[in-house]
Amino acid sequence: MFCARLWNHVTRVTKSQCLNHVQKNTIGTAFSPLLFKFSPCLFAEPLKKKKRIDPAILKAREERKKKKIEKQIRRLEKNARQLKPIEEIEVPWILIDEKSTRMRNVTSLSQEQEEERALLVKEWSRYKYRQHLEDLQQIDKMICSQQKALDELRAESEELYLEAIQIDPTLIPIEIEGPARTPAIKNYESPDGEYTDVSKKWI
Amino acid sequence: MYAKSFASFLRKWSKLPTALQSRGFCSSKPVCAKDVWDLLCAVCLERRPTLTTQLTDLESKFQKLLQDIEFENSYKSDYEVRKEKERKQAELLKKGELDSDTDVTVKTAQDLEDAYQDEFSKFQFAARQTDCDKRKDLKSLDRALDKYLVLVVNQKIGDDYRWILPQGLRENGETMRQTAERVLAERCGTKLQATFLGNAPCGFYKYKYPQSVRSSSKAVGAKVFFFKAWHIGGNVECSKTLIKDFKWLCTEDLNSTLQNDVYYNSVSQFLIVQ
Repeated sequence: MFCARLWNHVTRVTKSQCLNHVQKNTIGTAFSPLLFKFSPCLFAEPLKKKKRIDPAILKAREERKKKKIEKQIRRLEKNARQLKPIEEIEVPWILIDEKSTRMRNVTSLSQEQEEERALLVKEWSRYKYRQHLEDLQQIDKMICSQQKALDELRAESEELYLEAIQIDPTLIPIEIEGPARTPAIKNYESPDGEYTDVSKKWI
Repeated sequence: MYAKSFASFLRKWSKLPTALQSRGFCSSKPVCAKDVWDLLCAVCLERRPTLTTQLTDLESKFQKLLQDIEFENSYKSDYEVRKEKERKQAELLKKGELDSDTDVTVKTAQDLEDAYQDEFSKFQFAARQTDCDKRKDLKSLDRALDKYLVLVVNQKIGDDYRWILPQGLRENGETMRQTAERVLAERCGTKLQATFLGNAPCGFYKYKYPQSVRSSSKAVGAKVFFFKAWHIGGNVECSKTLIKDFKWLCTEDLNSTLQNDVYYNSVSQFLIVQ
């Protein structure tokens, strides 16, 4: 079909050209490609007839969808009320049963011992209070020192001051490894430990 | 009397115009021009303690008290229950009421405990006092592990060398933080790694140059801004032209080493004293 139409087109062109005696009879795409003109072909077929569905079935389908979603919501609500147990704060039954056997028979403290303990606690609180005051003083001193430095810098140059008060993002978050009881042993190969992970997975 | 003072006033007055002339264009500017100061950055490089401090007498007493209270309030553990059970079994066995083949566990809790104790006694903890502590090697970082150490250098200032925190002049176009980083790298070598704690200076100190220097340079003196940094790794390599010597000192030893009391006072403001 496509070829036939093309052929018609070509012959029509040649005929018209011949009538006008302007161009030669030969047709080639090499020297005058503009002579080729053809309409785009249509690839399509007639539309299908729409299928009719019973409105009752449609309704039933919608209902089923609704029910499914409702069921899911109900299930989620039920789970929401169920809290994840914290095993660490639940006393195991075995300990409650064996409480009497696991009791220590500690002799009660004498008057002197209790007095001594009370005095020690008092002394400790005084010691910690003093320590706390010293810490506060130290912090105050450092802040004062920094403020003085910043004020002096501002007096010298406003730009340098503005640069100095910028936050350094590389310091946040800061990670510090705390002091240890004894130094690390050099070239120490720690023995490989094995463990089984018994912690439960909660979703 | 009156005439005399009037005469001296006249004499002063007649001097005034010549003084103004010698200042050049001073009449258009404020008479008291702002002094020019050199801006210097100094680095307070700290090695943080890696060990806890020794407990004081009171601290260890209180620690023992807490442990005692904890023990009194606790219940027996599985291990203790087992140990007790086995002890009772052993007593029964002695009396001959129990058959040794069937009812006795082979490896008792006491055996296990002995094995653990044996293993523990074989383990050697590293000493809190290192070799450098014993040698009093002030250049080593492997020293006084439970204290802060601060880097102090013997730097050339003017004509003579002084013990100070490493410092240097700010160059044009630099922020103070950049100057501090450059100063540390130039004076102590590139192997020394440090983390600077923020862009802001933590302390301030200023001093005037001696008269002989003041006439040659524009500046009246120097304003030193201290920057705090933490030591990460590596040790100092002295660049001989700038620094003659260096020491890592505890904060309590600084006072005797630093150049003078005023300098020490401004440094001690931002140091952590233990």
